[in-house]
Amino acid sequence: MSFFVDENTRLIVQGITGREGTFHTEQMQQYGTNVVAGVTPGKGGTEVLGVPVYNTVREAMERHEANASVLFVPPKFLYGAAYEAIMSGVPLVMTIAEGTPVHDMLKLHHLAKEKGVQLIGPNSFGVISPGKAKAGFMAHRIFSKGRVGVMSRSATNCYETVFLLKNAGIGQSTVVGVGGDMIPGSTFVDVLPFYEKDPDTDVVIMIGEIGGSEEELAAEYIKKYVTKPVIALIAGKNAPKDTSMGHAGAIVSPDGEGSAESKEEKLRAAGVHIAESTEDILRIVKTLV
Amino acid sequence: MKLLEYKAHEVFHEYEVPSIKGFTVSTPEELERVDGKLEYPVVIKAQVQTGNRGKAGGIKFAENRDQLLKQGAEILGMSIKGLEVKRIFITEKVNIDKEMYLSFTMDRKTKLGVLIFSPEGGVDINEIVEKNPEKVAKVILPAGEEIDDFTLQYVIDKTGLKQSYHDEFKNICKKLYRMYVHYDCLLAEINPLVITSEGHLKALDGKVDIDDNALYRHPNVKEFRDEITENPLVLQARGFDFLYIPIKDRGNIGVISNGSGMIMSSIDLISKRGMEVTCALDLGGGATADRIQEALKIVASNPQVDTIFINIFGGITRCDEIAEGVQQSIDEIDTNRLVIRLEGTNKEKGLQIIRNIGGNIELVDGLYEGVDALAEGMNK
Repeated sequence: MSFFVDENTRLIVQGITGREGTFHTEQMQQYGTNVVAGVTPGKGGTEVLGVPVYNTVREAMERHEANASVLFVPPKFLYGAAYEAIMSGVPLVMTIAEGTPVHDMLKLHHLAKEKGVQLIGPNSFGVISPGKAKAGFMAHRIFSKGRVGVMSRSATNCYETVFLLKNAGIGQSTVVGVGGDMIPGSTFVDVLPFYEKDPDTDVVIMIGEIGGSEEELAAEYIKKYVTKPVIALIAGKNAPKDTSMGHAGAIVSPDGEGSAESKEEKLRAAGVHIAESTEDILRIVKTLV
Repeated sequence: MKLLEYKAHEVFHEYEVPSIKGFTVSTPEELERVDGKLEYPVVIKAQVQTGNRGKAGGIKFAENRDQLLKQGAEILGMSIKGLEVKRIFITEKVNIDKEMYLSFTMDRKTKLGVLIFSPEGGVDINEIVEKNPEKVAKVILPAGEEIDDFTLQYVIDKTGLKQSYHDEFKNICKKLYRMYVHYDCLLAEINPLVITSEGHLKALDGKVDIDDNALYRHPNVKEFRDEITENPLVLQARGFDFLYIPIKDRGNIGVISNGSGMIMSSIDLISKRGMEVTCALDLGGGATADRIQEALKIVASNPQVDTIFINIFGGITRCDEIAEGVQQSIDEIDTNRLVIRLEGTNKEKGLQIIRNIGGNIELVDGLYEGVDALAEGMNK
């Protein structure tokens, strides 16, 4: 087993006719992902890489019984595309774009919750279950199949980690990019239950960073409900206050909310292993697997 | 994007948030036109993106036309903390009975809006919370485009605001919230929200912070963005779609990387070894050689920087493009040390290009090896 994406995934690519959409559709197909339909308004009736294109998600859903959608659309159009996917009954919606307005995400976050939809991202590389399928743009060659789960706010820190894991012969079950924005569709707390339930995951790595309270909330959740070992890295300890470090969400507010210290303290109290660096993650994983 | 005071007043005005009357002036000649439109005494305030303007002489009072022309011209010519005063904002002096605080922002925990109101205001909100936490109402708002009466009544009851101000308070909250939503604000703050001696509620000063990612919806404020950016290197970088982040005034290392997470990790590891990063530049994904050349020039032009660490884990970003960018810029930068780590797409091709450049470029295999190399160099 694995979750979110695997051999049973029937994926829609929204924005399939765009440059990025087409390129990554081909990459996803080569990796073994079953892309059943594409959606680009105005391009319905055409075909890309053998995949039929529709004007609406609704029609794509009706004809192909898809169970997931990935959005290769610019941030300006993310709200509209995600709204359409959620309202058309797609149970899993993965968003990629960086630069989505915060107020758009505030609305989408609650809409997805209300409709029972798993919304992933944005500002995310997507989701990959190595050896099975991927939805997103991650450089899949550095991932390998195994029993370690990884969820990350940062793409590059995640790459660095799975690269070190792969070189050490340690593979991953499912890797989720929760994304670097202020308001993620799904938070660490939303993803944790999937790892806890997944029989193919033995250890969970959580790559967090400064800003917001998701790691603190995850600590509370882990304390109560997670039995599997969790390793956490909090990036940005030495970042200046009140300065966004690139990810819109990676900002410590002037009153100190979102600091690395607060996150590490809460996580440690919840029994989470704190890693000082990506290399340190590897050291700890080796003691646990 | 944090708006300057005059611009914040403009958006208050647009959303009919009751605020004091004021005029914005950018040349001494325009001062003449303000005379007669406001009742004296007036307050003249320098419009620069920095605190403590008063202490620096950036806020003055004028009792009459002569003083207005003289003081206004003086402030227009000055610079505060290195920032040239291009505009001044002139308002009537208000007689104040009481200073309060009101803001809308978002709560990242619940992903909802939050209203913060304190009947004591005028100073920084953190200071208010520290001194009188029991007087501050912080109320999470139900999702929506409008704010309901019952929510506002709840706020009023929590803070004991006097009956005679209830209607005006509700009115101001509703308008400010509408503005907060429509303008994609991260923060819409009125501080102080004053009760005038005539018994009316007015916004005296405000802070408005608009989500950078939503600026395309607000062209009327976007055009002022570059004007309020203090750091010329931030501006230069923005011109190439890079993010330049000043880290520490001290320090001698500049970090270039292709992602926010990797930048933070680099800074963390470097700091842990007792070294200091002065600035970082995020290339984002898929930068080409020509753009990388510019990125290197921007970081190298910071006089603090004598060492540059390029740390790339390329997915969309190709290592050979990075290497070519280094090659193109190598004669134009006078940095003492250049430590380069390349991983990912087209790594071998990139390494070969770097090796061919020769010189004293230090190639390292891995982030930790890079930080080691930096530390060894510092010890020499």
